[in-house]
Amino acid sequence: MGATLRALRALLLLAGFYLLGILLLAALAGVDYLLYLHAPTSLALKLFLVSGLLAIPLVRGLLMLRTPPEEELTGLTVTQADEPELWRTVRELADEVGTRAPSRVVLTADVNAAVAEDARLLGLLPGTRRLYLGVPLMQGLTESQLRAVLAHELGHYSNADTRLAAITVRGRAQVLRTIEQFEERARRTAAREEARQEKKNAKATAKGKEAREVDAGHSGITYRAMARIYTAYARFYFRATLAGSRRQEYAADAAAARIAGRDATASALREIPVLDAAFGFYTQSYATLGSNAELLPPRGEVLGGFGRMLSARQLELAGLRTGLPTEPSSRYDSHPPIADRVRRVESLAPDGRAEEGRGAALSLLTDPERTLTALEDTVLTDAVRGFRRARDWQELLDGSMAEGLASSSTPLHLALGQYTKSAPTLPALIQLIDDGQLWQLARRLPLSEQAAASKGRAFREFVRPTLHESLATMALAELNARSLVRWEFSWERSAVPHLAPAPDGTTPDLDAVIAPALADHPDTGPLRALLTPSA
Amino acid sequence: MIILWIVLAVIGVPLLLIGLYFAKAIVQGAAEGWREGSEESTEYELPAEAAALGLLPPERQNTDTAAPVPADLAAAVAAAKAGDWQPAAALFDETASVRDWERRTSHCEALADVAAEDDTWLLAWEAARVDDPGAALVRARSTVFLAWNIRGGKRAQYTTGEQFEGFHRVLAQSREEHARAAALAVEGDPSPYVGEIWTALGLGYPNSEMDRLWKELTDRAPHHYEAHFSALQYWCKKWRGSERLARDFAARAAEQAPLGSLMTAFPLIAHFEHDESDSAEADRTPEMRSLVDAALTDVAAADPAHPRLAEVRHLLAFYLCLQDRDEAAVEQFRLVDGYVNALPWRYRGDKAAEFCRMRDLSLANAAAAN
Repeated sequence: MGATLRALRALLLLAGFYLLGILLLAALAGVDYLLYLHAPTSLALKLFLVSGLLAIPLVRGLLMLRTPPEEELTGLTVTQADEPELWRTVRELADEVGTRAPSRVVLTADVNAAVAEDARLLGLLPGTRRLYLGVPLMQGLTESQLRAVLAHELGHYSNADTRLAAITVRGRAQVLRTIEQFEERARRTAAREEARQEKKNAKATAKGKEAREVDAGHSGITYRAMARIYTAYARFYFRATLAGSRRQEYAADAAAARIAGRDATASALREIPVLDAAFGFYTQSYATLGSNAELLPPRGEVLGGFGRMLSARQLELAGLRTGLPTEPSSRYDSHPPIADRVRRVESLAPDGRAEEGRGAALSLLTDPERTLTALEDTVLTDAVRGFRRARDWQELLDGSMAEGLASSSTPLHLALGQYTKSAPTLPALIQLIDDGQLWQLARRLPLSEQAAASKGRAFREFVRPTLHESLATMALAELNARSLVRWEFSWERSAVPHLAPAPDGTTPDLDAVIAPALADHPDTGPLRALLTPSA
Repeated sequence: MIILWIVLAVIGVPLLLIGLYFAKAIVQGAAEGWREGSEESTEYELPAEAAALGLLPPERQNTDTAAPVPADLAAAVAAAKAGDWQPAAALFDETASVRDWERRTSHCEALADVAAEDDTWLLAWEAARVDDPGAALVRARSTVFLAWNIRGGKRAQYTTGEQFEGFHRVLAQSREEHARAAALAVEGDPSPYVGEIWTALGLGYPNSEMDRLWKELTDRAPHHYEAHFSALQYWCKKWRGSERLARDFAARAAEQAPLGSLMTAFPLIAHFEHDESDSAEADRTPEMRSLVDAALTDVAAADPAHPRLAEVRHLLAFYLCLQDRDEAAVEQFRLVDGYVNALPWRYRGDKAAEFCRMRDLSLANAAAAN
């Protein structure tokens, strides 16, 4: 099957998606017509009524296909005057790929690059083209790697394969958006129904009646049935065109390798999953570290810190790069597994361009720092923007540690509260250990089946890790409250607590102080000494 | 009318046939179940030959030990369970002064088992006599048992991450405790190293590390039975070695040993651990017969009070029976009857039943031959 034939088939299948409802309606009408011709009038009238009822969800389904225009991703739109170098690169790449350059460039705050188009007429006609470019991606890639990524994205719209290829890409995107829309709407309907039932239950309980189980089971059943028909068809369509779209991915990779160089393309493919994971980690462990304490990193650092973390953790990242995902990311994903794509690109003949464009991709921006700050202002929600800005990362760490420790609630806190029916404080716990009640208290910890069934020494060993961890947290909270801990901020590893030196000048080791307190012959002396260094 | 009958016949006859078929199957199944049930209910009946020799039926066999527990050890275990550490401490003092390492490790195993469940008495002992070599030894060995109690006896897939984590953490602790026990041990005592073999087996010490440990041990006691038994387990294919390594180890031990040291048991155990055949052919080869002969001579020359003598007799009884040397087998069975927690019965689901089954087989054959 030639490329054109394949594209034609994909196009027909795509048409089927939109014609599905109409075909079903037509079939229904045909049945009615036959009834009108052959069945006795009384029976036919009843069946007309039934077919009318059946037609309602079909018509609703047809209406569902009208998707609202795609919402723009939040980001910072940059004009040619803002970022001449970036625009020049994008234009040049579009030229080399042989497609129209995007008319807008939007910088985003995620590890992503995408070319999107407001296609008209169900994806058949071209529309405004936008380039979404994640700044974290630029922080992690070299210039030539970024060129490879952009060339790949633009490559999807090239007509090198066949004129129809671009149409199928748009069609695919449109179908995908449509079914996502279905799922979204179904979720909202279910949520509404649940909220309604919750309210009813609340009223019932207020009146002293028994509340009923909340179940959104039957709401919008016709709607969901239609959505299911379309989703099933879409899945069929994706599967039928999968080979073709995979081919297009490989072709886009090949185009990228031709334009940006083989090595840059392969290494960019390797790099993206790593950057994705690293950015997720960064967001959780650094950027939003202060969210509970309502603290924000210094202005420009919310995204700026990512680059710093990347360079500090080079060694760790190198380890991640060697393992490549071998599974596609989702069942709708047209991308073949990254491992496959890398293998294909790396098997191309060497082109001697390994040394090209090794500078950071971020330097394509006129003033990276200014852009990072501007982007940060765009993407932060109003609520978050109201947080206090920390002076530096160290202050952010100190603030969030203080907040986290002060409000910490370990399993031991809960057990202690339950056991003593009073506030779970460290002095109370130490007293309890001295009285030899620790193991009775430990019975109140959340226990696994095996731990709960164990006795004596085995039980003590089962609970010791939880006790140790919880007690360490309690002790740190106490020390932090008395300013006896200093937190060391690091881009390379997690924050390390440094305890204030003992009167004799040695630095105490928290684990070495806690272990004796939880030993079979408990000794809380060192822990007490640590908490009252003056004594 | 005729047509109706034909239609009824076409539908009815197959239905009737199917019904009959099911009825037959149900009746058959019920009959089988009934017969099986009646078979199960037949009780074990002690053969006249066994009764004449004063041998016991399965339900009267002790399944906890391989031989009667010496009175002094039984007393120490009972005292420990009651929280009194003194009799246990006295036992360890005694074995150290007479340098009886076989009894010392045997005592250690029994008392560590108690301490793995509840170590109140051991804590009291440690508090009363700081750095006592015996207490250190029991502490280390009991930690190994504790690790296995935490892990549980199930296969890896039914064992939780928490159990594995606890197992490794506690075993690692036992390594330190064994080192401490070795530092505190009286000159020439191999006992801490014997216990450490089980740490090595659980943690998977590399072979090189095991050889280092083995050198420390054999420098102190070259022909210690429990040491060899434990090390052979380490060298088995199922643990950290291979069939070849295990057989070589056992053969070397038997070769170099003086008569009466019971080292001749190990080639038999190595064979037993790696024999996967269904028939008894592999157990009847001339090589196996001569291994059994060597063990018989060894047993005859051994100290009758050797704490492990009964274990070797159990093994001999098993192989003599398999080799159709029934009279000799009966002799060994008779000497160990009443206690069945030994190889090979220990690996079977019902130790006592398996022991009695083979014993009765030999008894019947021996009687028939006479």
